[in-house]
Amino acid sequence: MSILVDESTRVICQGITGRQGTFHCERALASGTQIVGGVRQGKGGTSHLGVPVFDMVAEAIEVTQANASVIFVPPANAAEAIIEAADAGIALVVCVTERIPVLDMVRVRAHLKESSTVLVGPNSPGLAVPGVGTLGIMPQGIFLPGAVGIVSRSSTLTYEAVDQTTRNGLGQSACIGIGADPVGGISVSQSLQLFMNDDQTQGVVLIGEVGGRAEENAAEFLSTLSSYKPVVAYIAGQTVPEGRRMGHAGTIVHYGLGTARTKIEALQDAGVRVVSSPMEIGSVMAESLGR
Amino acid sequence: MFLFEYQAKAMMREQGIPVLEGIVATSEQRALDAARELGEGPWVIKAQIHAGGRAEGRVGGSEDLRGIEFSNTVLGVGQTAARMLGKSLVTPQTTRQGETINAVYIEPEIRSELQVFLAILIDGERGEPVCLASVKGGSQVERDIFDDPKNLVRVPLGATNQVALSVGHEVASQLGLPSSSIGAFAELVQQLHGLFVARDLSLIEINPLAIRSNGSLVALDARVTVDDNALYRQPAMGALASRRDQSGAEERAAKNGFNFIRLDGNVGTLSSGAGLAMATLDAITHLGGRPANFLDVPPVLEVSRIKEAFLLVLSDPGIKSLIVNVFGAGIMRCDTIADGLLLAHLEQTVSIPLVMRLAGTNAPLALSRLERSGLDIQFAPNLASGAQMVIDAADSPPAPRQTDSIVGRLTQWFTWTKEGPRS
Repeated sequence: MSILVDESTRVICQGITGRQGTFHCERALASGTQIVGGVRQGKGGTSHLGVPVFDMVAEAIEVTQANASVIFVPPANAAEAIIEAADAGIALVVCVTERIPVLDMVRVRAHLKESSTVLVGPNSPGLAVPGVGTLGIMPQGIFLPGAVGIVSRSSTLTYEAVDQTTRNGLGQSACIGIGADPVGGISVSQSLQLFMNDDQTQGVVLIGEVGGRAEENAAEFLSTLSSYKPVVAYIAGQTVPEGRRMGHAGTIVHYGLGTARTKIEALQDAGVRVVSSPMEIGSVMAESLGR
Repeated sequence: MFLFEYQAKAMMREQGIPVLEGIVATSEQRALDAARELGEGPWVIKAQIHAGGRAEGRVGGSEDLRGIEFSNTVLGVGQTAARMLGKSLVTPQTTRQGETINAVYIEPEIRSELQVFLAILIDGERGEPVCLASVKGGSQVERDIFDDPKNLVRVPLGATNQVALSVGHEVASQLGLPSSSIGAFAELVQQLHGLFVARDLSLIEINPLAIRSNGSLVALDARVTVDDNALYRQPAMGALASRRDQSGAEERAAKNGFNFIRLDGNVGTLSSGAGLAMATLDAITHLGGRPANFLDVPPVLEVSRIKEAFLLVLSDPGIKSLIVNVFGAGIMRCDTIADGLLLAHLEQTVSIPLVMRLAGTNAPLALSRLERSGLDIQFAPNLASGAQMVIDAADSPPAPRQTDSIVGRLTQWFTWTKEGPRS
């Protein structure tokens, strides 16, 4: 078993006919992900990449029994796409779209409070369960089915952690990029909880980033558990000057909250092994698992 | 996108928020006129830059001139403006080079017993805007709040388009404001939230907000950040952005959609993805090196954009070596990076040592092209060794290199791109 995605996951892609949607769905299909359809308003009734295209998510569900969706629509329409999928009853929504206005995501979050849909993202590389499927844009060929759960706030750094745990033979149970936007769906803490409850996962890599309070909250969450699987963390941006922005809105360090130091201390207090260099993620995880 | 104080105040004035009459001056003469137009002194002269911490900042390396100064005489206003304009202001929130002061903002000086910090920003964890406030306003607010978080009042605002006046009453009562000011304060919170939502802001802040003895309020400073992702539906904000003051390099970066920040070191960096770019900086710093820049190139298909990224990093005369750390994924392929470097080399000979850490999509193809380029390139199997290599390269004196003709290099490039990968 793994988290969020398994053999029964049937995926549709909202925005399948676009350049990004086409590129990544083609690769996902080739690697065995069950993509059963796509949605693009105005192209209902056609087919693309060998799967049927629908005008609406609800129609797609009716015909294909889809229960997951990956979203590649442009930023101005992405919030509506998430809400449409949730309202139609999709259980898992992965939103890859970046540059969605933050107030649109405030609206989405308020809407999802009333819903059981799990949202991954936006501005997320998505979710990969090695050997089962890839929802999003994570590269193929670097994964190895195995023991380590990876939860990350940073897309490209996710691949770094995957690469290291593949090279040292640990492999991954699942890899989830929660997205780099200030307001998103599933949190680091919620992801940790899924990994703690998952039989296949023996240890977890947490990749954090300066800004926000996700890591502090994760530390608080771990402190409430009587015992937990080994967690190795790396916080990106230890050299970011305060008040400056490095690529993500999420990295604005406001009012002394959410600096690398506060995050590292909180995680260490909770018993997490925090590596000071991104190069040590794989080796320290192996050591923690006694390999 | 960070607005200048005077732009933020103009926006607030339009909304009916109490701000002082102020005048922007770009010359000593204009500053003198401004002081006279604003009536009796004393006046405050404030450097207009896109960063905070001005009251602690130093202008042009001088010990006695800060980014915010006061004067009792018209002549003094002119002299202070003249000493600020064209100079660089270094604050705790700028680089060591600081930001050039192209304008000063002149206002009457207001004294008040009570100075409040008030801000609305997004609380990412809750997924909604939050109002932050403290009665310990002023330039030390960040330190005060960090030392004693209890000083900070925090009231969530929900996903609504208009907050009730009761929200402002709640903030005011938690702050313990005098009752004569509470009505105006509640209205102010509503107005700030209105601007926040209508203009797609990610931060609106008044620090300090003066509360005078008669209970009236006035915003002494204003800070506004617009959500860059919403500029497409905020044409007025976009127009301000096009006039914003940026260093040449940062402007070039913005034009190309790169996230670029110039730092103080001698090791150039180029990465794709903000996380990997930050990790590259962390790895270099961790091993004792000094990064010269942060550069996150978003995934692109066009070789010309990658070429621009290389030219941008190489435009810094201070860099002694360059590391490229790219994990090819999605539409970003390693061979695009290689071709971009070769094109940049055609335009401007690359003579510093390069360290390439390329992994993921089409990495072997990229390596085969670069191996035959004649450039001084070391290939790093991982970030750890790459960071060490690039630091060592920056510290050792450059080997003398022969420069070949543009035609020779052009021919070479065509050969590389036509031949494709070696099997």
